[in-house]
Amino acid sequence: MNKNWKKAGVALSIASMLTLTACSNGSAGSSGSTAGSGGNKSGDILIGVQSPTTGSTAKMGQDMNNAIQLATDEINANGGINGKKIKLTFADDASDPQTATAAANKLVSEGVVAVVGGYASGATLPASGVYHNAGLPMVVTAANSAKIPAQGYNDIFLINGTTVHQGEVAADYMVDKLHGKRIAIIDDNSAYAKDLADQTKKAVESKGAKVVDFEAVNPDEKDFTTLLTKLKGLKPDATYWTAYYAQGGLLIKQFKQLGVPGAIGVGDGANDPTLIDIAGKQAAEGTFVTTPPTAEFLPDAKKFINDYKAKFHQDPGPYSALSYDGMRLLADAIKRAGSTDKNAIIKALQDTNNFKTFAGDVSFKKDGTLKKSNFIVLLVKNGKFTLPQQ
Amino acid sequence: MDMFIQQLTNALVVGAFYSLIALGYSMVYGIIQLLNFAHGDLYMVGSFVGFTVLSLFSGQPGILGVAVAFLASMLVVGLLGMGVERIAYRPLLKASRLTILITAVGVSLVLENGTMLSYGPSFKVYPYQLPTTGFHIGNATITFAQIGIILISLVLMIGLQTFVHKTLYGKAMRAIAIDQTATSLMGIPVNRIISMTFFIGSALAAAAGMMSGLYYGQINFMMGFIVGLKAFTAAVIGGIGSIPGAMVGGLALGILESLGTIYLGSEWRDVFTFAILILILVLKPTGLLGEKTTERM
Repeated sequence: MNKNWKKAGVALSIASMLTLTACSNGSAGSSGSTAGSGGNKSGDILIGVQSPTTGSTAKMGQDMNNAIQLATDEINANGGINGKKIKLTFADDASDPQTATAAANKLVSEGVVAVVGGYASGATLPASGVYHNAGLPMVVTAANSAKIPAQGYNDIFLINGTTVHQGEVAADYMVDKLHGKRIAIIDDNSAYAKDLADQTKKAVESKGAKVVDFEAVNPDEKDFTTLLTKLKGLKPDATYWTAYYAQGGLLIKQFKQLGVPGAIGVGDGANDPTLIDIAGKQAAEGTFVTTPPTAEFLPDAKKFINDYKAKFHQDPGPYSALSYDGMRLLADAIKRAGSTDKNAIIKALQDTNNFKTFAGDVSFKKDGTLKKSNFIVLLVKNGKFTLPQQ
Repeated sequence: MDMFIQQLTNALVVGAFYSLIALGYSMVYGIIQLLNFAHGDLYMVGSFVGFTVLSLFSGQPGILGVAVAFLASMLVVGLLGMGVERIAYRPLLKASRLTILITAVGVSLVLENGTMLSYGPSFKVYPYQLPTTGFHIGNATITFAQIGIILISLVLMIGLQTFVHKTLYGKAMRAIAIDQTATSLMGIPVNRIISMTFFIGSALAAAAGMMSGLYYGQINFMMGFIVGLKAFTAAVIGGIGSIPGAMVGGLALGILESLGTIYLGSEWRDVFTFAILILILVLKPTGLLGEKTTERM
């Protein structure tokens, strides 16, 4: 993009290569020596996977890696891409910006032709800069901060909807499905929740409905009764909580207890069964949840779930289906590009036209985000999250 | 009017929790001039002990089960408070107040992290929660649980006030607050009385913790931190060291917070609370019920 970024990128690459050679054992050193060769030596297509496999989100990274491995094995079993097999190389970003930058440099130096992965936005953001400077395409499968596309890179593609998409889906549901004219939006002042609340407000207002209450609570607050008493007087048709499950459960409970009218719903940060436990089964009944597509709620993903269980002896995680689809999308793009040239792959990704995934058809906007949101709305029924009957 | 009744009930419930915890703050400060910053964590431990005891009952524990858990929680945490005083504070009673204050912060960290290690860092759902039935006054909903919490708190507070003013032990506590050395010269076992003060203060915090768990239904090892700060604020508002002050301060804080939420919005609730704390410290450092030369206790 601009000179400073390039300089920083070069400096970082050199620094990381130095660290690699300085402190790595023989195997890493030898992989470093194939830099720039694209893994062509063996005739394979080398694809990098960036995910957190250590740290507090290690489980998510493992889930993603499993799903990507599953997709790769299937593609290879079906003859690979244009006669070549896919080879994966994994890099751990620990959901940490610094580790992520080192991981990204590792992948670049190994000579991958594209990258798939990215869980935490905070880690994906700096890594995407490294890939962009190296001219590498990246398919982001989980991170969804609106800041990633805002960088204006033409080679980063998000197959997970952003907060903009989620806000739209929430607004569609509350205004169109529930015929809501008076909407209340509550967040907890955290960056993510605030962002989602802002986007939802924008979407609700653009649909002609009124936001009657737009408020934030303190992150440690347990007692929402004062706020809800006020809300009760405002008679909202629907109330939307954009932060996390622990407080969300309490909010729902007290909402029902005080008898605030209208529906209540939560964003994906509150998509956790504990939400229902905290609120209580009765109070939680009918709560709507906007969430990225998780495998268990996607009718087409049955086979994927079974294959995944058979191979890894565990249930797929929340981002497994997206990771699986991300790898398939990338393979499809390389196939369409007809070569492993980075620019050709980027072009092919940009030209993606209604690629079929579990969560719907994928096409990209100019900024690399989805043209059509893949967020889904779940309803709490009998104490469980369920897909509403269409 | 409906809204007013509703908000007042909300404020009184929150205020009752603050008052019960503020009492412990005030008593300990009154008797040994220590701001016991671990006090909020005793409230947290109280709710975890209640959680553990309630988990032992299979199915619905009923009123009797809740009462058992309630008393067990008060007893265990009361003893824990005594232990903390014996191990962490008593050796430092003659040291400067700053040393003992820092120790209190250390105790707070030990309690928080100890609970985290034993129960895990995630939110726990209370095994039994108070029923949400109640009655309506116009548009306002008042649940029996809310009335119960307010009543139990009042009973505990009145009981404490009677104890301090009508019994020999209470007299000894008040005497120590005035002059520790002179009291010990009169043959009063000072350490035992201090120990007892910690027991009572901690048990009251545990009562609040248990009721908060039953009422909100969700607990977490960090829940004591902010509540402890609020209770401290309540104690200062009422006049730290004074028992009626702690009660009035807690209820006043609950009402002030509700006003802050109504007129400024929820995100300003804590700002409002701590702004009041600063105002009180500047304008009337002795608190609402404090006098110039206040008799602590």
